[in-house]
Amino acid sequence: MDKSTIVCRCEEINIDEIESAINMGAHTFNDIKRLTRCGMGPCQAKFCMNLVRKIISEKTGQSLKDIKPPRMRVPLGVTRMSALASNKASSVASVFGESAEEGETDHEEEL
Amino acid sequence: MHITHHPVLKKDERKEIKFFFNDEPLKAKVGQSIAAALMANGIKKFGVSRKLHQSRGLFCASGRCYSCFLTVDGLDHVLSCSTLVEEGMEVYSNLSDPDVRRGKNEN
Amino acid sequence: MRTDLLIVGGGPAGLNAAYKAASYGLKTIIVDKWFSLGGQLRQQTQSYDHLPQHFAKLRGYKLADFLIDRLKPLDVTILEKHTLIGAYSDGSVGVTNEKDILPIDAKNVLITTGAMEEPDIFPGWTLPGVMTAGAAQILINRERVLPGKQALILGSNEFALEVAAQLHDCGIAIKGIVENRSELLCQNEKLIARISNAEIPIVLNGVIESAIGKGKVEEAYVNHNGNNALYDVDLICVAKGITPILEPFEVMNCDLIYRERLGGWLPEYYGNFETTNPSIYVAGNAAGITNMGGILLTGEIAAISAVESLNAASTVQIKEEKEYLWNELYRIEYNSVLEARLDVINELHNEKDAQLPPLVDSLNGRLING
Repeated sequence: MDKSTIVCRCEEINIDEIESAINMGAHTFNDIKRLTRCGMGPCQAKFCMNLVRKIISEKTGQSLKDIKPPRMRVPLGVTRMSALASNKASSVASVFGESAEEGETDHEEEL
Repeated sequence: MHITHHPVLKKDERKEIKFFFNDEPLKAKVGQSIAAALMANGIKKFGVSRKLHQSRGLFCASGRCYSCFLTVDGLDHVLSCSTLVEEGMEVYSNLSDPDVRRGKNEN
Repeated sequence: MRTDLLIVGGGPAGLNAAYKAASYGLKTIIVDKWFSLGGQLRQQTQSYDHLPQHFAKLRGYKLADFLIDRLKPLDVTILEKHTLIGAYSDGSVGVTNEKDILPIDAKNVLITTGAMEEPDIFPGWTLPGVMTAGAAQILINRERVLPGKQALILGSNEFALEVAAQLHDCGIAIKGIVENRSELLCQNEKLIARISNAEIPIVLNGVIESAIGKGKVEEAYVNHNGNNALYDVDLICVAKGITPILEPFEVMNCDLIYRERLGGWLPEYYGNFETTNPSIYVAGNAAGITNMGGILLTGEIAAISAVESLNAASTVQIKEEKEYLWNELYRIEYNSVLEARLDVINELHNEKDAQLPPLVDSLNGRLING
């Protein structure tokens, strides 16, 4: 197939860009995300996930069962800042529990 | 185009309403998504992609692919496949990233 | 908000689970991202062959009405237009209606978010007019809008053929069903006969080389056995199968496992459909792609597990329910799917050194012995 064919609809990353990332040493979806922004647009890799896994498998010879989906983070879909910043218990800090996990301050107690 | 005689479903008795797409008045049916209402009017291209400015329209109709983003009543990036069309709604194509500095926060 | 059971996703699995759980007195909340319940059933005008004994044969959208209507007298709160957004560190679940975020404190959470359609790529696949087969079906049956006049269908599974037939019945000329393999994936004889009666061409060993057009699809090149042919089409429907929706499980910290026969990656689960995160259950297509009977039954099994965890029914009732449901699952679900499902369950029980429910264990034996 034409290497300029889009794989990631959101960030408009094509086959060539993904294969180049693999040639540079990328062998997981997360690697490809970091190098190309593939999967980092509004759909958050929902549609390119298995397309990219297949390209990784074909290029590196890894079995599909060994190629994990990319890291998915909250919020799961496009969410308005006004909703995140809205009311009482629903502060951004409490929803984004992940940052607390990584040793940052958890503001939940204060709310 | 609307399907007037559906092979399985009974007669469509939904009320007709009016909305606007890029200032052009169009007709829709109550209960339709904005995306479907546009398609019913023969409009398939909803906007352009952010980087390469290629045409985009409805793709998954399930609120997951975000190809059908539109600006609705002033709000950017509305999923038109999962938002109901309303009487008098003003819908515009998303042709670029929103300007976050507009309005009262402008400096 | 507090509840006994929070169900994420109001499709057939979630609705059926809600009925069962609420029938045993569990306070139940269903959140669904759409403005109406029913999930993918809402645009299914065909009826289903593989249904449990306690269901009448109905067209999909009527089955949705049935599942929704019978919740009315029960303690089920329905939050439409609400999306799961993430989990709080205290274990409650955040849902948003785009204005506020609502934390829900649930004793059990059942995730029935179903599956999504897989895309397939070719130059021009991002053009308006190229859409998933599911999207085209939503347009004709839910929205009553024609997505085009002349179409190609990419893929030949059962859903591809069903949608092709439905589009044809609505007056769209199907110029071809394009399949890159040398035979149809669909094995449903009745459906194949419908396609053949409608004189829809089947292009085996075919690939869509490219879709072209200004602002929308106007033509497509199809390569068939090495020869390129130009098709005059304004609609291309991609039907390359479905895969479980994963992101709710990822944010709920449930471990995932890969099983091709179940549609790819999916959450790992025990014999009671509990994931590796305690009190988070899974059912329906999210627990592996299955048929409508499998979707409904797994929803009910997960609901019974929630009922059991809260001691809301007697041991005898629970045992009877499970026996009936698992036997029905054994009867209805395709063998290859049930086998893969039991494999997921066995593996997790082994890994965690947890005892297999006797019923599940007996099914292992039955499948091996045929």
